[in-house]
Amino acid sequence: MICVIIFKMEIKNCKVIKNQKIAEKHFILKFENKFSKEFLPGQFLMVALPHFYLRRPFSVFKVNKNTISILYKVVGKGTEILSKMKKGNILNILGPCGNEFNIEQKYENIWIIGGGTGIAPLIFLSEKLKRKNKNITFFYGARNKNLLFFDILPAGIEYVFSTNDGSYGYKGTIFSIVEKMIKKEEKPDVIYCGGPELLLQKVSSLSVRHKIPSFITLENFMGCGMGVCYGCVIKVKEQNGWEYKRVCKDGAIFRGEEVIWQ
Amino acid sequence: MAVNLNTELGKLKLNSPIIMASGTFGYGAEKFQFIDYKKIGAITTKTITYEKWEGNPQPRISEIPSGMINNIGLQNPGIKYFCEKIYPSLEKLKKEEVKIFVSITDRTLDNIIKIVEKLNYLKIDAIELNFSCPNFEKNNLMISQIPDKTFSVVKETKKVSKFPVITKLSPNVTDIVEIAIAASEGGSDILCMVNTVKGIFFDWGRKKIIEGGISGQCIKGIGLRCVYDVYKRVKIPIIGLGGIVCGKDALEYILIGADAFGIGSGFFSNPGIVNDVFNYLSSYLTKKGIKNIKQIVGILNEKGK
Repeated sequence: MICVIIFKMEIKNCKVIKNQKIAEKHFILKFENKFSKEFLPGQFLMVALPHFYLRRPFSVFKVNKNTISILYKVVGKGTEILSKMKKGNILNILGPCGNEFNIEQKYENIWIIGGGTGIAPLIFLSEKLKRKNKNITFFYGARNKNLLFFDILPAGIEYVFSTNDGSYGYKGTIFSIVEKMIKKEEKPDVIYCGGPELLLQKVSSLSVRHKIPSFITLENFMGCGMGVCYGCVIKVKEQNGWEYKRVCKDGAIFRGEEVIWQ
Repeated sequence: MAVNLNTELGKLKLNSPIIMASGTFGYGAEKFQFIDYKKIGAITTKTITYEKWEGNPQPRISEIPSGMINNIGLQNPGIKYFCEKIYPSLEKLKKEEVKIFVSITDRTLDNIIKIVEKLNYLKIDAIELNFSCPNFEKNNLMISQIPDKTFSVVKETKKVSKFPVITKLSPNVTDIVEIAIAASEGGSDILCMVNTVKGIFFDWGRKKIIEGGISGQCIKGIGLRCVYDVYKRVKIPIIGLGGIVCGKDALEYILIGADAFGIGSGFFSNPGIVNDVFNYLSSYLTKKGIKNIKQIVGILNEKGK
């Protein structure tokens, strides 16, 4: 029996509630949640920005009944315009886009590894896992103490911090800490990871070496966010070699072992 | 007054002049809940080749002022996979009376004919020949840049195809009218213009110059001019395409001679564009007291001049 697959994304005009600077170039934008479809951890949304032809994708980091929040860093002109948005401005938003993190009942001991703004979807994920009473260790790295956003971290989870300059937590990249820990500690049942590509790549190969399932969230420049343009593809292993898969539709969550890094 | 957006492309009857352009709507096989499919006249699939094509490596999409440049490289799973795995879902969608146009291309005439033979077994509504595929028969040019080739490939396709043939033209030619006449003389039932405009993007971050095709608002004037010039000299119906981001853009194409129009990357900017354009055209006709959109096709242009 052939079924037509239905994409349940919605397009909504949402009022900005707050656009707060939390560190140099880093912001949390909170807007009205007008969506009837629930956002799940790992999913993202596409925001239309004035003066730009293409929308920008952002991971969701917090969802309430009435509000949705994203965490972003100003990296170009688009995010710069977003950073100037004020309370009451209207944003046209498409979502929810992409797949969600695979959360299986059997995963009890969970490692979450995040670097920089890559923690956004992981915070959303850890809130959900916490409600399921999972045993979570959250590894969180940033360049320095000012870029570790303690205020947005859910309580009741064990954290391991690192900074490149040693201003807080362990000194070094978060991966170097994870690598040391995995030799000492009991291995987790699953790893979830978000952050810079190098971190994703290293965590993926670590998970393969230790035979631990891993799920990573990828980022890419996107044309549509709806799976129609094939602009955001990455190489993914297939039975007979590899294939280009869409980050926006087949992802943004992929299994660590399936991604072929360029 | 009830207005009517029904239109015709030769013998093809469409519920609406809105056509989802090739490459910007996937294969059309998945359904978007936010789109009212009754407002779409036809969906054009992403271009399909005989064998599977992997497509180009990253970066594939770059943003420019009022538009974008793409070099996707016609990634597609090939005609066999399309017929077996994608078409069945498309057939279900057709129940909403959306017409299905299948875009095809390849590097040899042989392969193009083989694709058409396979499509003949399906219930589609038209075949769109994407003549902007580079390196046809080891020539540096695209088919749509060579009048003789345009004529002969259309003619051979017409001999085999059970379905009406749409020829999609590139604006990257000295005189698009010459190519349009060649396609028409070859037997093309419909013309679709324009495909993307060749361009480059300076990727300073990656230290790369990226070749690709420009689409978006910034090419509307080019598309309009091509339709404007061709309408005067060619009798077959025209699908206008290039830079439509709102209802007024679509209306401009209609007024200068397009019987229907394509929405391309404008769908990325505004996924709600189908509703917006449909509603704009309906209220425009109501305000002007015009019953049918067909009455205004080409009224700001003249045949034979």
